[in-house]
Amino acid sequence: MRLNATTNMPLNRLPESKPDLKKDKQDVVIPAIEMTDLCKVYSGETPVNALHNANLEVHDNEFFTLLGPSGCGKSTLLRLIAGFETVTSGNLKLFGEELSALPPEKRPINTVFQHYSLFPHMTVLENVAFGLRRQGKSERDAKMTAKEMLDLVQLDQYAQRYPKQLSGGQQQRVALARALAPHPRVLLLDEPLSALDLKLRQSMRVELKRLQRETSITFVFVTHDQEEALAMSDRIAVLSNGRIQQVSDPATIYEHPENRFVADFIGDANFFDAKIDKVDGEFTRYRLSTGDILLGPTTEARSEGAEVSIFFRPEKATVSLDLTGGLRGRVKDILYLGDSTEYRIYLADQSEISLKAENLKDGSPLAEVGTDVAVSVDPNAIRVLSR
Amino acid sequence: MKKNDRDIRWLPGLSWLTALFFLFLYTPLLVLVVFSFNASRSTTVWSGFSLEWYHKAFTNDAIRVATQNSVIIATLAAILATTIATSAALALARNKRMKGKQAFHGAMLLPLMIPEIVTAVATLIFFSTIGLGLGLGNIILAHTVFCIPFAYLPIKARLESMDENLEMAARDLYADKWATLRFVTLPLVMPGIISGAMLAFIISLDDFIITLMLAQAGSTTLPIYIYSFVRVGITPEINAVSTILIGFSVIVVSVSAFLGRKTAS
Ligand SMILES: Nc1ncnc2c1ncn2[C@@H]1O[C@H](COP(=O)(O)OP(=O)(O)OP(=O)(O)O)[C@@H](O)[C@H]1O
Ligand SMILES: [Mg+2]
Repeated sequence: MRLNATTNMPLNRLPESKPDLKKDKQDVVIPAIEMTDLCKVYSGETPVNALHNANLEVHDNEFFTLLGPSGCGKSTLLRLIAGFETVTSGNLKLFGEELSALPPEKRPINTVFQHYSLFPHMTVLENVAFGLRRQGKSERDAKMTAKEMLDLVQLDQYAQRYPKQLSGGQQQRVALARALAPHPRVLLLDEPLSALDLKLRQSMRVELKRLQRETSITFVFVTHDQEEALAMSDRIAVLSNGRIQQVSDPATIYEHPENRFVADFIGDANFFDAKIDKVDGEFTRYRLSTGDILLGPTTEARSEGAEVSIFFRPEKATVSLDLTGGLRGRVKDILYLGDSTEYRIYLADQSEISLKAENLKDGSPLAEVGTDVAVSVDPNAIRVLSR
Repeated sequence: MKKNDRDIRWLPGLSWLTALFFLFLYTPLLVLVVFSFNASRSTTVWSGFSLEWYHKAFTNDAIRVATQNSVIIATLAAILATTIATSAALALARNKRMKGKQAFHGAMLLPLMIPEIVTAVATLIFFSTIGLGLGLGNIILAHTVFCIPFAYLPIKARLESMDENLEMAARDLYADKWATLRFVTLPLVMPGIISGAMLAFIISLDDFIITLMLAQAGSTTLPIYIYSFVRVGITPEINAVSTILIGFSVIVVSVSAFLGRKTAS
């Protein structure tokens, strides 16, 4: 995308009819979106409780991601913000203004739909101009801005085509241009990259991220792809079963997950049930269910004998043939992954752990299948969760 | 081979059966059309090509009036029935929580299953009970009613195949309900609406039983005129009128089918 073209884009193109959503005169920072105890129950023969007491703040000009497995309520949350679903209880505010009573067309929020939902009977240009026309712009102005938007997503030469004459990636960019053209306060994106192939998806990540930065529009992005979430977001909310599990920046989510679900869903983790053996200042000895002792960080408010759950990420451990320290195990499988090699190792109690070693040199394995190895982990890379 | 297994042509005698089927279907029509161009009065013995009967038909005042009536009735009935059917289809397709939706849907289609003679008698009794005497208006009213389900079906099919997200996208892009209907829903459902209207038009144009019950002097339609004429004796003039009617139907149905095909793609 030619992002330098953004400078041509007049900002604050909100129509006068929209509610006044300017920032307060005081210096209080008003969140772009604020939810308090937001609940959604789909009524029906068997009511579905899709969202439980969600409390969330999305900051202005932020790339915010909703991450969670299929069916956890991500789309529900987006549809509530967009206005396609009614709130069951709780509050939903956009820049301090209550949203619940506004129909979708009155909300300065636009959506990029998962399957793009381009109007098949309109040309690409008419699609992009649609929102501007409905905002009351003259046909000429709308078409002009639409052209600029198409320029921005590098589709200017496709303006007169119909959506079905475009490839998936091109349709995706039209959908993006259409949603950005009216310059919404918040842009919602519901798994917009899931239908694209890997290469295209990776380049779209970079472009979406840049587009967000250049337009200063708050993005709320939905995905079930943790890698995508980590790569693109300023902050991530992890959802599971209609509940928000953790809201943090990507590094905190990955390095310091607050519970087992988050730890498990984001990246890989080797979990152990453990008992605190001895607290020794900065570090604590944890006795694993295998009988091994693992040194890890001391966490507050946990005394000796307490039952905890500890884990470490596969890339934080090293495997060695010197059996003097660490966890003992036997190599079960070696998976060559190109940039790294994964070792699957049986521990004494037949539980399986996985570690990853970067292939810095030629990638020849450090051990062979069936050899006894020792696994050592830096105590600072061990994470402790309550059980 | 596997491919041949699925090919229905291996069935013995299938091609003969197919040929016979089409023979029975189209021979009478073909004969009718051919003899409309006959030079003599006979509808069984060919004696040369002529357009005399067409000329006669076009200059016959009774035929002209009947044709006029038929076209007026069919046009108005089709417009009214399609309007009602479109509203009904929109209401039923876009209302998720409506109670008794299935019942409404069934009630829309029930007239298709009631024998036409029953509808005809019931309508006649109803109109005479309430003393409705609008002449052509009576027929238009009755036709509108029984054309509704025919118009409804293609519109409903089209609406159901339409992605509801498109309407959501329109609302998202600042179109209120009316603008969404006007700029997104209706243009996308239009092939279904046109197809429904054409079907209603043909069904009305072609109707005999109900019209016969309701027609008074001066509101004779083409099918009724043809019927009364045939009872007196068959002349090639009737063949000519019938041929025109066939041509008309074929055109309308083809356009309808063409639009239906566009719907599917
Ligand atoms: N219209 C609806 N009526 C009833 N239940 C619904 C409706 N829409 C969603 N649900 C239910 O609400 C829950 C959350 O659905 P939602 O679509 O928000 O999930 P999601 O996180 O977007 O999943 P995915 O990643 O598969 O898109 C699911 O259990 C789903 O079955
Ligand atoms: Mg979803």
